[in-house]
Amino acid sequence: MMSERIIRYSIWIYLGIFFAYLLGPLVIMSITAFNSPTFPRATPWECLTFEWFSALFQDQRILNGIKNSIIVGLGTVILSVSMGLAGALMLTQIWPKLRATYYTIIIAPILIPGVVLGISTLVFWDRINRMLGLGADSFLSNGLFLTIIGQSTFIASYCLLVLVARLQRYDLALTEAALDLGASHAQAFRKILLPFMRPAIASAAVLAFLASFENYNTTTFTFGEYPTLTIELAQKVRYGITPAISALAFIIVALTVFFALINESKIKRKEQVMEARKNATVAELSKGVKVPGFLSGNPAAIVLVLFCIGSVAVVGTATAYSPDQCIARVKEQKQIEAEERIKELRRKRDADNLKKFKGVFDPDEISPEEEEAPKQDNNSGFGGVFDPNALSGDDDAQDGSDASGGDESGNNSGFGGVFDPNNLNSD
Amino acid sequence: MPGFLKEFFNRNGMGMGLTILGLVLFWTVGLIILPQLSMLDFSFRPNLPPPEIGGPKDVYTLENYKYLIFGPEGGSQDYNVVDLKVFYRTLIAAVFVTIFNLILCYPIAYYLGQTKGNHIRIFALMLIIPYWINEILRAFALRIIFGESGVLNTVLMGLGVFDTPFDFVRNDIALYAGLGYAYILLMIFPIYNVIESLDRNQIEAARDMGASWWRIHRRVVIPYAKPGISSGCTMVFMLSAGALAAPQILGGPSSLWFTQLIYQQFNDNSDWPQGAAYAVVLLVTCILLVLLAMRLFKVNMGDIGK
Amino acid sequence: MSAGVGVDLENLWIRFGDFVAVRDANVHIKGGDFFSFLGPSGCGKTTILRAVSGFLEPSEGNVLIGGNNMKGIGPNKRPTALIFQNLALFPLMKVWENITFSMEIKGASAGERRKRADELLEMIALPDQGDKLPSELSGGQRQRVAIARALCAEPDVLLLDEPLSALDLKLRQHMRTELREIQKRVGITFIYITHDQGEALTMSDDIAVMRAGVIDQIADGKTIYNDPATAFAASFVGENNVFRGKVAKVMGNEVMISTNRSGDLVSRVSTANQGKLNVGDDAMMFIRPEALALAPDGASGDHFVTATVTHEEFEGNVFNIFTEGDGGKEIKVSLPNLGQSFESHTGQPITLEYDSNNAVAVPAGELAAE
Repeated sequence: MMSERIIRYSIWIYLGIFFAYLLGPLVIMSITAFNSPTFPRATPWECLTFEWFSALFQDQRILNGIKNSIIVGLGTVILSVSMGLAGALMLTQIWPKLRATYYTIIIAPILIPGVVLGISTLVFWDRINRMLGLGADSFLSNGLFLTIIGQSTFIASYCLLVLVARLQRYDLALTEAALDLGASHAQAFRKILLPFMRPAIASAAVLAFLASFENYNTTTFTFGEYPTLTIELAQKVRYGITPAISALAFIIVALTVFFALINESKIKRKEQVMEARKNATVAELSKGVKVPGFLSGNPAAIVLVLFCIGSVAVVGTATAYSPDQCIARVKEQKQIEAEERIKELRRKRDADNLKKFKGVFDPDEISPEEEEAPKQDNNSGFGGVFDPNALSGDDDAQDGSDASGGDESGNNSGFGGVFDPNNLNSD
Repeated sequence: MPGFLKEFFNRNGMGMGLTILGLVLFWTVGLIILPQLSMLDFSFRPNLPPPEIGGPKDVYTLENYKYLIFGPEGGSQDYNVVDLKVFYRTLIAAVFVTIFNLILCYPIAYYLGQTKGNHIRIFALMLIIPYWINEILRAFALRIIFGESGVLNTVLMGLGVFDTPFDFVRNDIALYAGLGYAYILLMIFPIYNVIESLDRNQIEAARDMGASWWRIHRRVVIPYAKPGISSGCTMVFMLSAGALAAPQILGGPSSLWFTQLIYQQFNDNSDWPQGAAYAVVLLVTCILLVLLAMRLFKVNMGDIGK
Repeated sequence: MSAGVGVDLENLWIRFGDFVAVRDANVHIKGGDFFSFLGPSGCGKTTILRAVSGFLEPSEGNVLIGGNNMKGIGPNKRPTALIFQNLALFPLMKVWENITFSMEIKGASAGERRKRADELLEMIALPDQGDKLPSELSGGQRQRVAIARALCAEPDVLLLDEPLSALDLKLRQHMRTELREIQKRVGITFIYITHDQGEALTMSDDIAVMRAGVIDQIADGKTIYNDPATAFAASFVGENNVFRGKVAKVMGNEVMISTNRSGDLVSRVSTANQGKLNVGDDAMMFIRPEALALAPDGASGDHFVTATVTHEEFEGNVFNIFTEGDGGKEIKVSLPNLGQSFESHTGQPITLEYDSNNAVAVPAGELAAE
């Protein structure tokens, strides 16, 4: 039917647009990680470079942020998964009249804005701290403690939702059977309920870690002396960006895809094993199940292998490849362009032409101030380290900024002396 | 109640029972209820230096709330026009973002929920991947696209749509796109969950009776998916009204988000009680709006979060 | 294995809020017996079992196992093992791990456990199945694994909560024999919960018939079938034809009942009610279908019943005749098929006779729902 075909096409077009909206930003950001301009941009493409990755790994603040994020993440996982599990167990057996109220209370943190949670955590523990007569450097006002507590308040609710879904399928008779066979309550919990809940606990833990890792709204009030990665990123994004951040994003995207593929191929493999077990006879089972080859019929695994080969190839290229020549060429070209432009301007000024625009501009000419940044950094050779001011570099201060921009970047950011390995054979 | 407790300990054993009860109490009372009450209490107090807290000057006052409405005492205007305008605009924009997200996500959730096959898992994966990436980076990615010399401007100018770069940031388009982007998953998931459990035969039956595509959705799917839709809308509304990262990164210089005012009170002005008062106003207003909407659309509280 | 530990319930009351699940139960179960609680669903029999196994604290009264009061002793400390209605096999453990879970709790080594599991698997005729998961077994196999798991704990008392209800008819009948055999072999006390009178009658030494939280009768199967103590026991166990009426005359152990529909009929009074039926009391008389026979036409008296045949059916071993009966219920007559010829009576009045010894009278009471 004609109309059905139209509907099907429009569904696919819609899906295409939707996923472009969803994934496009990530793809473009990933591309900027490999482009040489110091301001992250995908167009125009200048030179393939890997320097932003080394810049990233030399950025002490980012590394420190990652460390703090991991500590906070682990603390949050432990706290929120245990609170979520306890909350879920309580939900299944709470006094019926209290149930609705209880549910509202434990679900509410999902809906409370993160900003509010951050503030209330800060205010409350500050007060407790004062009531106990502790100083400003006590454990209760420690940034890590406050961040873990603040994040767990709502992340535990997410965990609870994941855990309750599985707990509802749990047969209470299993616990009773274990008790009946002599197990203590703790043993029954550890040997029967916990193994049953393990998949859900794993999902909840991953969810909790990711939610903690990316949290900004709550953390921004509680982090104290321990800025997490997100906080550091926010500072950078607000006060000056380099593609080193894109490089970080690319790494996270790549890791995500990598783990997603591993997970996918595992699921597929499990399905295949189950299928094989179901079809196997007793004799075959005792000999051990014959599992089909890891790759056969497992597209995710195939993609995974290709992905690994791809990353090895990229890393290999990165160590051997040097973008210096290309960067120098682009720079030269730009200088010529710029000189021409200046000449042009002078000519125009000389001619005293009142008309400012004379047709279609070259894209490079449209935002000259941002064109500026790459040149400064390319010259200086400080990978990924740059002065925020460089972003708004003046159109006319072109020649001087090359040197000064480089110097400033070293001093201002405090990473002076951290050289890009590529830099050793440049200049 | 003691009967309930006795049964609880009977069922879980003393040690396990105490652990569960302890964790639940710590969470509900120590992390949820008391901090919120504490913030509420704090918002009614004057901003005092630490030594004076608890002193004679530490009395309850409505000053912080008055400030939001009337502005600083002796100010040039009768009302705190700036802050009130920001507050008003934040709520309107959050509603707008919610509607935008619903329209965008409903077809996707419906498609995912009603289609079977391996590619659905791939789609689900593609949906989730962006949310494993930092909130800040997501906003940052959009800024690369919407920036003055960003991809979008380059492409649009290349196509000859604009002569000069269009300032998406200043016009708040980047902000709305970013907020919408940030909460897509929260909208899709609840709707998907409900629609997945909708029996396909119901739709087939309706189609069989000659119902139009539009009528099937209006009469069969949407009423069925109402709990999911309200759940998604509530979450998106609350979270976008309370968003901080996206407005900070994608907002134009002149367009503040109410959360940014709260942030300023805390971090720049060091006026915690004032910030707490603003936070209380935001929280209470949002809750009231959600309850009002739920009353309007006849949805139960119990459906949220399912 | 320790044998012969008895179980006593003394004045046991169990309440849930206002609802009384068990009302003043007094039961003595001899050690080594196969004892069944028989009753319709919701009669409180599972509640009694949970009180014995320790999952429920009685509201009043005591549970004694081997003479020891179990008050305050948790299920994990009682010498009982329970086989759950849905078996409750641990889905993530292999069969042998399931069976030896009680040993794992006590800290036995894997080697020891494996050895014991193999012995028990041998006993339940499932050798070489130890490495499978419960989900890979059939219903009957799972059933046996559950029994082995319970026996592995070496309980003094094995409690079974309708364990056969999920099986199909044929398997169920087979498992009855098997359960009885296992019980004889291990020699411990079995307490069995069922709503299936066939199961109770075939396996049990003694049966307690329960109705709405009350134990109506405790006796061996033959007694319950032939000499029921209440109208409920008479109507719940086996098929029975009921005749309602008032006691017209008491003659020692027999009474004359003037029935609502079939005139005056004579009946033996059930042992439990002897001396309790007086003239004018509401009474019920029960006659089993196989205790009724066709009488010559025109015969009349206090052990003859006349009624019109509504329909007939041939069941193979018996030929069933249904006639109009009392209170909308039909009277069923089962004539054994000994090769004789049956002529159809449908629509005609017939006369039935019985021996007053085969009829039993009890005070009027609640009947079991069909």
